[in-house]
Amino acid sequence: MTLVDHKKYLLEICEKVDQDLASPTCKKLREHLEKCPDCAAYYDSLKKTIVLYRNYDVEMKGSRVTQILARLDLDEPLQITLPPKGPGQDRNKKHPH
Amino acid sequence: MEEDTKLIEAAKSGDKIAFGKLVKQYEQLVYSFSFKICRDKEKADEVMQETFINAYRGLKSFSGNSKFSTWLYRIVTNNCLMMHRKKSHEPVVSLEDSDLFKGTNELQVAHWGETPHDAVLNKELKEVLDAAIEKLPLDYRIVFMMRDVEGLSTEEVGKSLKLSVPAVKSRLHRARLFLRNELNPYFAK
Repeated sequence: MTLVDHKKYLLEICEKVDQDLASPTCKKLREHLEKCPDCAAYYDSLKKTIVLYRNYDVEMKGSRVTQILARLDLDEPLQITLPPKGPGQDRNKKHPH
Repeated sequence: MEEDTKLIEAAKSGDKIAFGKLVKQYEQLVYSFSFKICRDKEKADEVMQETFINAYRGLKSFSGNSKFSTWLYRIVTNNCLMMHRKKSHEPVVSLEDSDLFKGTNELQVAHWGETPHDAVLNKELKEVLDAAIEKLPLDYRIVFMMRDVEGLSTEEVGKSLKLSVPAVKSRLHRARLFLRNELNPYFAK
């Protein structure tokens, strides 16, 4: 397969990298990836790029509620507590794709 | 979600405790997203605080047609863009035919080794990821972070940034290829 043939799939790989390859709309791409190791490697690296950035997160060092409310000239509410998270209510959970 | 709606309505009516609870609930999300755009913890803290101040002042304009988090993301991006304009001479919007993207449409085939699967990335890898994304113009970075990292739909990103769906797809496409090509030398076997 020539580079030109591979490049035909570049756009499709990039567009569908976040989709479920098992879906009917990805059938042609899935079939191509199964028989083309180069495009499969490219697809894999693109997917890994996204996962790496998704995994790179930072945690705040302490709440800023007091400072923010003070800047707004609002009284600091005493003991703001949130209800405990129930099952399936992880606030940091990413949206499903 | 129902709880959010109650808090938002109460905060709109001037309930300070309700607004404080909203801040508490969303501050980590907003800080994290701010960092992903600014790539600097101090700036992220500043943007996060500004975002809640803007949110409080504009709360009455929140109609509830989008998720509260999506509305906050939009304020974060505006604040990041404003901060960027103030502190940098780099243009926010790059030209479509910018030299930056030359070569990203070439298929540079390489097999990547294993990448970390969990959320614990080492310092060296973080530096590589930072260096790559810092080269990406802010308007592309924002689209990539909203769509691929935060998981908003293409339509939600478009609505937030006042971009058409094709424009979001185009920026996302370029951002993905650019970042992948920047990381390629590090991961290619």
